[in-house]
Amino acid sequence: MSFKMQSSENMVYSPCFCGEGKRCAERPATNNSRETNISRESQMRAAINQKLIEMGERERLKELLRAKLIECGWRDQLKALCKEVIKEKGIENVTVEDLVAGVTPKGRALVPDSVKKELLQRIRAFLAQHST
Amino acid sequence: MKMEDMSLSGLDNTKLEALAHDVYSDLVEDACLGLCFEVHRAVKQGYFFLDETDQESMKDFEIVDQPGVDIFGQVYNQWKNKECVCPNCSRSIAASRFAPHLEKCLGMGRNSSRIANRRIASSNNTSKSESDQEDNDDINDNDWSYGSEKKAKKRKSEKNPNSPRRSKSLKHKNGELSSNVNPDLYKYNYSSGISYETLGPEDLRSILTTQCGVVSEHTKKMCTRSQRCPQHTDEQRRAVRVFLLGPSASMLPDSETMLENDGYDAPDGQLIMSRLQWDGSSDISPSDSASSKASTNNSESKRPKKKKNPSTLTLTTTGGGGERDKGQERERVVGSGSGSSSSQNALGLSSRKKRPKLPVPPGPSIYDDLN
Repeated sequence: MSFKMQSSENMVYSPCFCGEGKRCAERPATNNSRETNISRESQMRAAINQKLIEMGERERLKELLRAKLIECGWRDQLKALCKEVIKEKGIENVTVEDLVAGVTPKGRALVPDSVKKELLQRIRAFLAQHST
Repeated sequence: MKMEDMSLSGLDNTKLEALAHDVYSDLVEDACLGLCFEVHRAVKQGYFFLDETDQESMKDFEIVDQPGVDIFGQVYNQWKNKECVCPNCSRSIAASRFAPHLEKCLGMGRNSSRIANRRIASSNNTSKSESDQEDNDDINDNDWSYGSEKKAKKRKSEKNPNSPRRSKSLKHKNGELSSNVNPDLYKYNYSSGISYETLGPEDLRSILTTQCGVVSEHTKKMCTRSQRCPQHTDEQRRAVRVFLLGPSASMLPDSETMLENDGYDAPDGQLIMSRLQWDGSSDISPSDSASSKASTNNSESKRPKKKKNPSTLTLTTTGGGGERDKGQERERVVGSGSGSSSSQNALGLSSRKKRPKLPVPPGPSIYDDLN
């Protein structure tokens, strides 16, 4: 998981870890608490992920995403990309890593906005519901 | 670690948002990975490219866009201009007309027999008298003796006067019919009827003995169909005869009536009832045409175009006004003059619309003593 670290510069002016670098309400009292927050945050993430899985929400989200991507044609677009990679590399020699490396970044970019928004909305709702 | 330790205050909105985004990216990456695995397996198993054709075959089945040719490259009217030679008559016939020509040429097939029959019928009409219609199709269907009687029913089969064969063979005779009655008496002509006003009594009589003669309310013309035409009842015919020839002149032959005489309501009712009996009630006694029983059963029924119903309709000319009791005995009344009240109905009832029952006028009844 990516984790944005505050630059040392920002530490002086906005010691919180909101990642935006501006002053925010939350200020840890000391520098030490930042690390605690980081670890707390990562713990938080882990916990949330776990909860997602446990409640089956992750599966549901996955299915929803899959259905939506097929519907909007994303899957076919990506398959065409795969074909090109395969033709490039040759049928016999293509590996999973080749495909993944060639296709995933474009795949992330090709997801339509509506799908993205809907998914984010559902995740937020889940978080709001279950993070307290 | 419990979620309770992580309070929302520990995370602001942006962190939450970041978290959501992370979850989302995880999901998307999972989807991408899933697709890659699937594709890789398909490639290695050899079925990934199965739905594509090679270039060569693609060229073979390309869509054709030339004029005169369909998208498959076939010429669609290839046989249009070709001509075949008929083996029978050795003529050169166009290909699309070959089959119908052969049908007629060889004399087989439905149409050719129909045409042949029509030709025979029309030649019979023009050259022979009506009693010589030996070739008529339904010659065996009737019990009528189509002898040489003047009053013999015209033995035209009860075919639809609107059928194409009629109009086709006799179109050219249409114009003559209206004024010149006698030679055209035996010609079928449905499109122009006979106007009774222009005819003298002799002409009228001769027409009325051979044809239905009921005057249509719409066109004021006499019906040129046979005496047994299903469009008009015997009562109507009788009424027309009375009207045109006088009260004593209505002598319709062959009144084979088997009416069950339960009395009748009115002359109008008579005509209605007799018309209604034509519809197929099988228990009509050979007596007066009026039958209230039939009328009560069928009073609102329409008249179908039934061709032959020899057991029904009375052709008597009896009646006058007056009521009949139910249960009157069957009688066969022939040729007596109908009451004057019926004459007024001759014109009115020749149309086929439904008529309500009219009340009985207490007119002079010839049959009062019979009640």
